[in-house]
Amino acid sequence: MSRPVQRLYGLLAELTHRCPLHCPYCSNPTALTPRGSELETGEWKRVIEEAAELGVLHVGFSGGEPLQRADLTELVATARQAGLYTNLITSSLGLNDRRVEALKQAGLDSVQISLQSDESTLADRIAGTSAHLRKLDAARLVREAGFPLTINVVLHRENIERLPHLIALAEQLGAERLELANTQYYGWAFKNRTWLLPSRTQIEEASRVADSAKKRLLGKMEVLFVLPDYFSQRPKPCMNGWGRRLLTVNPAGEVLPCPTAKEIGSLRFDSVREKSLRWIWEESDAFNRFRGTEWMPEPCRSCEFREIDFGGCRCQAALITGDASVTDPACSFSPHREKLTQFVELKEREALQRDGNSFVFRAG
Amino acid sequence: MEPFSSELRPRLRARARLQIDKVTGKPALLYPEGVLMLNPTGHAIVSLCGGELTLAEIVASLAERYKVATGQISGEVEEYLNRLRRLNLIELVDLGEGKK
Ligand SMILES: C[S@@+](CC[C@H](N)C(=O)[O-])C[C@H]1O[C@@H](n2cnc3c(N)ncnc32)[C@H](O)[C@@H]1O
Ligand code: SF4
Ligand code: SF4
Repeated sequence: MSRPVQRLYGLLAELTHRCPLHCPYCSNPTALTPRGSELETGEWKRVIEEAAELGVLHVGFSGGEPLQRADLTELVATARQAGLYTNLITSSLGLNDRRVEALKQAGLDSVQISLQSDESTLADRIAGTSAHLRKLDAARLVREAGFPLTINVVLHRENIERLPHLIALAEQLGAERLELANTQYYGWAFKNRTWLLPSRTQIEEASRVADSAKKRLLGKMEVLFVLPDYFSQRPKPCMNGWGRRLLTVNPAGEVLPCPTAKEIGSLRFDSVREKSLRWIWEESDAFNRFRGTEWMPEPCRSCEFREIDFGGCRCQAALITGDASVTDPACSFSPHREKLTQFVELKEREALQRDGNSFVFRAG
Repeated sequence: MEPFSSELRPRLRARARLQIDKVTGKPALLYPEGVLMLNPTGHAIVSLCGGELTLAEIVASLAERYKVATGQISGEVEEYLNRLRRLNLIELVDLGEGKK
């Protein structure tokens, strides 16, 4: 294969799909990996060590809920011994002072906690369980232990108007970074997108609020707000390019170029149970299929932005058009862009008629 | 952002870790969202951000090391530090607080 294999920097280790929450916006696949198929401790250790040898400097422990794994601390320690920066990406359910202390001892570098809203009535309704107050306690424990804290909130129609309160809460919790992540429509979120998609007015107002908070908090708390795909003109530089900087290992040990790549039915993913991480990164079909710019069709092929956004997201292309190898439909140059625009506008009309809502809560 | 002053000292935040990359032998700044590979000047600047020196002292130290006039580099150093501050990787701490 002649495609340039670049330097790999980051590993996302999805330790499990098990989770005590049921977020209807969850980007996990709708076909969740059962516990019995999860990689075992020794297998994860090998993955982490192989990743470090490949040049990985950064590992995110995520899931599902990574705290569901009793061996989390052990895996963090392995990663630290291999010289990696370790970040825990968690709902925080299952975190107590004992566990925080053990993670500190193991050398965990930082913690990211996701919240559903700023107050428990709405937050718990979105989570499908009573979680919010426990999360606030956990966030405090994390700060007391001296961990740098990132707060992540996935935004959608139901909580986006809470933005000023969400920002205030993140400040109060002592977060150094606040990720206001507009829902990306994969997995359960794609199933629920009719109920999750905000209106144009909501998005515009939220952008304004986020912008002014960003300015006000510059140098204190980093505020990240990215315009959602359905409302923007250009796609995101998904994963900084397919097979370029990052890889994900899912609970079953399949190695994915992006956490949602299972949406692409036409790709087969190799497993760390059968192949080395290096082979999968350098040689496997799934990683080479969309690496570089050779694979690109028009309009990307001759576009000046092709090295900037890499043609956008393959999963979104697959979900919206049925073909993973076309330009991301989020791009205004895409012949499929209409499909997103129509969805947004149809939503505007529906919103006027609808009263209640009916999420499909994430199972498992 | 708060301007630099003679009371404030740039310090690498706890969320960032400076480390030598095994693959390239070059310095890398690691933080929750990613990795920043540093060039030699960047490395020299960040290495002086321990919360003990003010901006002026950092500039003076670099000027001596690279045998240039402080005026020649002060703008660049300040801009570099501001970029790291926008990424929330550097904070300014008060006099006396630096050694914490
Ligand atoms: C899948 S979760 C797993 C970790 C943990 N259960 C949690 O929720 O924090 C990883 C991160 O993705 C975020 N997330 C989940 N679904 C998302 C979506 N549809 N769009 C954007 N971010 C999403 C979560 O808020 C969390 O920060
Ligand atoms: S986003 Fe919600 S449902 Fe999905 S893994 Fe995280 S906490 Fe669980
Ligand atoms: S045509 Fe392709 S490369 Fe050009 S902006 Fe759109 S997605 Fe990016």
